[in-house]
Amino acid sequence: MLKAVGLTKSYEAPTGGTLPILTGVDLSIERGQFAVVTGPSGSGKSTLLNLLGLLEDPDAGEIWLAGEKVTALSRTGRSRARGRFVGFVFQSFLLLPSLTALDNVLLASRYMGGRNARGGLGETRGSSRETRHRAMALLEQVGMLERAAHYPAQLSGGEQQRVAFCRAVLNDPPVLLADEPTGNLDDANGAVILEALRQRARAGATVVVVSHRPEIAVGAGPVFWLQAGRLVSPPRISEDPSTLKEARA
Amino acid sequence: MLARLARTTRAYGFTVAGIAIGVAGLVALGAMAERIVRFIEGGDRFVLGQISVAGRGLGMGAGFTAGGLLPASTLAKLAAVPGTAGVQAQVMLPLNASTSQFMTLTQELVLGVDLSVPMPNRHYRTLPVRAGRFLRDGDRGVAVVGASFATSRGLGVGSRLQLEGRTYEVVGVLDRMLTAPDRFVMVPIADAREQWVAKDPMLRTLLASGAMALTAADLNTGAAVGWRDGEDPDRVAERIRAEVPDVNVQIPSELSRLLRSSTAFFSALVVGIAALGFVIGGLSLANTVTASVFERIRDFGVKRALGATDVQLGCEILAEALSVTLAGGVAGIVLALALGAAVDGYVARTGQQLFFFSTRLLSAALAFSALLGAVSAVYATLQMVRLTPAEAIRRGT
Repeated sequence: MLKAVGLTKSYEAPTGGTLPILTGVDLSIERGQFAVVTGPSGSGKSTLLNLLGLLEDPDAGEIWLAGEKVTALSRTGRSRARGRFVGFVFQSFLLLPSLTALDNVLLASRYMGGRNARGGLGETRGSSRETRHRAMALLEQVGMLERAAHYPAQLSGGEQQRVAFCRAVLNDPPVLLADEPTGNLDDANGAVILEALRQRARAGATVVVVSHRPEIAVGAGPVFWLQAGRLVSPPRISEDPSTLKEARA
Repeated sequence: MLARLARTTRAYGFTVAGIAIGVAGLVALGAMAERIVRFIEGGDRFVLGQISVAGRGLGMGAGFTAGGLLPASTLAKLAAVPGTAGVQAQVMLPLNASTSQFMTLTQELVLGVDLSVPMPNRHYRTLPVRAGRFLRDGDRGVAVVGASFATSRGLGVGSRLQLEGRTYEVVGVLDRMLTAPDRFVMVPIADAREQWVAKDPMLRTLLASGAMALTAADLNTGAAVGWRDGEDPDRVAERIRAEVPDVNVQIPSELSRLLRSSTAFFSALVVGIAALGFVIGGLSLANTVTASVFERIRDFGVKRALGATDVQLGCEILAEALSVTLAGGVAGIVLALALGAAVDGYVARTGQQLFFFSTRLLSAALAFSALLGAVSAVYATLQMVRLTPAEAIRRGT
């Protein structure tokens, strides 16, 4: 479902020259898998997620989504592929402050152009009334129906992340990418979001989570350990998070 | 619904206010420029509509009849010049001779016109009357006043006006013309002649001395001369100059040039004001629109992450910029109109008007706002789409 071949990315260093972030990253994640990308700060986790979600362009390498080589697409094609294939959950929620919770969720449908994410071109997603109904149903599933008319500033962090999750899954994307989705949440809210992501994987979506939290990797599918921009063999994942810490050290 | 409206107003309120201030500055400065332009154009139109003739000499009349006495015999000679069509005797006097009119563009004048002759000015066959009526042949003791003159003195139809110790009834108020007649008092020529004698001790001495055999019909400070259809007014004026002795003849095109050169300072001022308005209003508007886009760069990054294409975002930004710009433009125009009304209400007491909000100015301001808003939106969009969605989100966070 999601495949990367030889992904390489570097940034311009402030002092001149280039700063390599990722070097020759290969990975493949199947449909229904809950994958975790982890590693120390600055290892390139978020950059990898941005590349996989087409939020940035790699310097070299290929990305395949649902059998389509999306790195070969035009700029507009990549935008459309993002809308069709990928849902994002960001650490800082990134809700639009001028929209209500419901409108933030519905925003995901605005740029789809009447095309179904899973079904592909030609299949309409149904009427806007159906989309609205679906958005309301999603908000209800995460316990946010009562707050549908509230603005982000009127919501707690956990509530905002639940709204952001609904936005990410409104179009039922086959790939769900989450960058530190629990980073700004307390344990209880973090658990709600993680469980929602796992549910999406169980429902058949490809879920990739970037996180520092070792417990997230427990029971997950593939775990990708990044170090200095390269994928390395992950340390043994144990039920006891302290084991992971020792392995990191 | 109301909460949403309130939130939207709050979200865009500062942007609209910023644009409104820029447009208000542009419109207010433009209205001042427009006022000056109308004054110069009005004067130009007047001098090109007639041949103005005064007697040779200094200081007897005022305005465009400044010169010497123009006796009835000379008027007859003027009428006999081939190509002329209608000679209207006039008496033009300063309303208050003791007040210096230095630096006053629109002097308050008394204009006596001979109503037995149709107005020869091709561009002003009649003067537009806002209330009451214009002067008629045979009238005495009545006056028609210009709009600014009426406002400054609180005059209306039926009001009484004291001129040189005599009471005149105001029978008409002219429409605002934004040029010299706004500050005129127009009376029948016989009344103007009486006023002239009352005002001018030298003339009284001359008449009392009997040194010249003068009748009332000789007391003219100038004449407006028309020309026949098909005649070149400059050629007719030159013919008058050649055939009628002791007159000052204004060649219409020369007078127009003279008027334009004497108002060159004001023309330059107009250009300066317009340029200033353009720069201040334009920069303010462009800055506000682009800033409003850039300050939401994160939101646009999120939208791109959700699948928005460059074209979709560009259209969205353009539509938003146009809405905000037009709202700001309308608010700015209302602000400028209110400012202009307040200032003009204050200076009207001295018979002045500083602003003229013409339809062309308001339309141009609105079109200019929309155009600049669109250009700014396009610029902001082009700058923004150069960033990747991730970079846009990073920069805006």
